Amino acid sequence: MGRRKSSAASGVAALLILCVSSLALFTVYVKEGDCAREGQCGPLHTVQLGAAEVLQPVRSVFAIVLEPVWRTGERVMGAFDDSKEQQLERKLQEAEALASQASRLERENAQLRELLEGQRTSYEYGPLAQVVAPVGDQFTQRIIINVGTEDGVEPNRPVVIGENTLVGRTTEVSRHTAQVMLITDQMFAAGVRIIPPAQFDPASSEISPAVTSENVSYGQGLLETDLEGYFGVGLVPQSARAEEGDYVVTSGRAGDKELLFPPGLYVGKVQSVTSQDIDQFKKIVVEPAMNPQELEEVRVITDWAGRAG
Amino acid sequence: MEQASVIRAALVVAVAALLEAVIGPYLTFGYFSPRLTLIAVVFAAAPLRDLQAVLLGFFGGVLLDALGGDLFGVGALGGLLAAGLAARASAVQSRGTERVLLAQVAGISVAAFDILGYTARWLSGLGVPQLGEYAVWGVLPDALINAVIAFLIGGWLLNIVNVKTPHSWEK
Repeated sequence: MGRRKSSAASGVAALLILCVSSLALFTVYVKEGDCAREGQCGPLHTVQLGAAEVLQPVRSVFAIVLEPVWRTGERVMGAFDDSKEQQLERKLQEAEALASQASRLERENAQLRELLEGQRTSYEYGPLAQVVAPVGDQFTQRIIINVGTEDGVEPNRPVVIGENTLVGRTTEVSRHTAQVMLITDQMFAAGVRIIPPAQFDPASSEISPAVTSENVSYGQGLLETDLEGYFGVGLVPQSARAEEGDYVVTSGRAGDKELLFPPGLYVGKVQSVTSQDIDQFKKIVVEPAMNPQELEEVRVITDWAGRAG
Repeated sequence: MEQASVIRAALVVAVAALLEAVIGPYLTFGYFSPRLTLIAVVFAAAPLRDLQAVLLGFFGGVLLDALGGDLFGVGALGGLLAAGLAARASAVQSRGTERVLLAQVAGISVAAFDILGYTARWLSGLGVPQLGEYAVWGVLPDALINAVIAFLIGGWLLNIVNVKTPHSWEK
C-alpha cells in the first residue's frame, strides 16, 4: 500500500480500452441469439450456459446447506412487508390451500398409477427434475433444474408441478441443466382464460366444454407481473366475466403466434377484480398456485397434442 | 516489507466470483445481494500498480458475467470501475486506515454497479423499477451492507494479497 504507482497514463489508457470492450460485450450479448431457439445461441450466451453446466454439481452441494437460509430469509422479508391483517389473511389462505391440497392429493393418488403407466394422453412429460438453485439477480425470478437436452428438454417448454400446475417455462437449456423462468418473473407472459370453479378441475385440468363454446364470454387475457409485486391478468375487457375465486388457466393462445403453452395448465385463483368506467380493461389480481420458495421437484412438458411445429 | 502478489490477487478475485455465482442467489433478499467479486476486486487491486489493477478488475468482472446469468458486460464495467477507484484510493491513503477507506470504496463501487445494472436493463428493454424508489430502497442499502461486509473481511483479504518479503539486510 502507498507504493509509487507505475505509469498512470498506461493505466488510464487500459481503463478506457477495457471500458469500450465491456460496452462491446454488452452490445453483442443483447444483440446475439438468446438460446430460445435451437441453433441460435450466441457465443456469450453459450459461455454462460457452459458455466451453468460446470457449476451444477457445486450448486447442488451448496443448495443442501443454503436452501433453509434462503427460505427463512424470504419468509422474513415477506413478514416485514405485510401488515398484521394481511398476515392473518395469508394464514387463512394457506389453511384453505392445505385443505384443497389434501383433496387434490386424494384425487392425484388415484391417477398416479395411470401416470406411471402411460402418463396423460395429452401431455408428454420429461423426467422428474430437481430444482438445483435459484439464479439471477434482484430483478429476476429464475431457477435451474437438473434436466437438459439429453432428457429431451428444449427451450420454451412449460414446466409444471404435479400434473398441470404451471411453474414457468424453460429458457436456456444445456445438456444436463435448464434455466426456468418462473411465472412470477416480470418477463413471463402467457395467454390465460378465467374460468368459474364449476367449470374446471385443477387436479385433472379437465375444462368443461361449455367454457369454449362461442356464446360464453369468460375472461381471456395476458398473464403479467411487475417488479412491485403485482401478479394478475391484463387485457381482460370490461364486458368479460371474471370473479373472485375463479380459476386462471392457460388458454393455449399467445395472440397469433404458435402455441407456447397447452391449454388448461393451472396458474392460480383470482384474488380480486376491480373495474373502473374510465378503464378499458379490468384489473385482476391472481394468487399463484405455486410458491417459488417451495419448489423442489418439477417436470417439463416436452410435447402435447396440437402443438404447432 | 510487504509486496502485493498479482497471482494471489487474481486467485482471490476468481474464488470470490465463483462463490458469488454459487451462493449469491441464496443470499439475495429484495434488492440486496452480496457483491463478493467487487469487494475482492477493491481489496485485491488496491496494492497493485494501476495497469495491473485495471486488468484484474476486468478479469473479475468478465468472470462474474460468465458465471452469473445476468447481462454480459455489466460485471466487466463494474469490475473496471471498482479497480479504478481502488487504485486511486490507495494512492492517497495514509497507513492504518486502508480497511476503512477501501470499505467505503467497495460501497461506492456496489452503488455504481447497481446503477450500471439498472441502466443496462433499461437500455436492453427489460423492466426496471422507478429510479427514485430503487435508489432509496435498492442502491443505498445494498451499498451500505456491502460496505460493512467489505470492512469485516477486508483485512483478511489484504493479508492474503500481500506477501511478506524479507528486507535486503535480512537475506
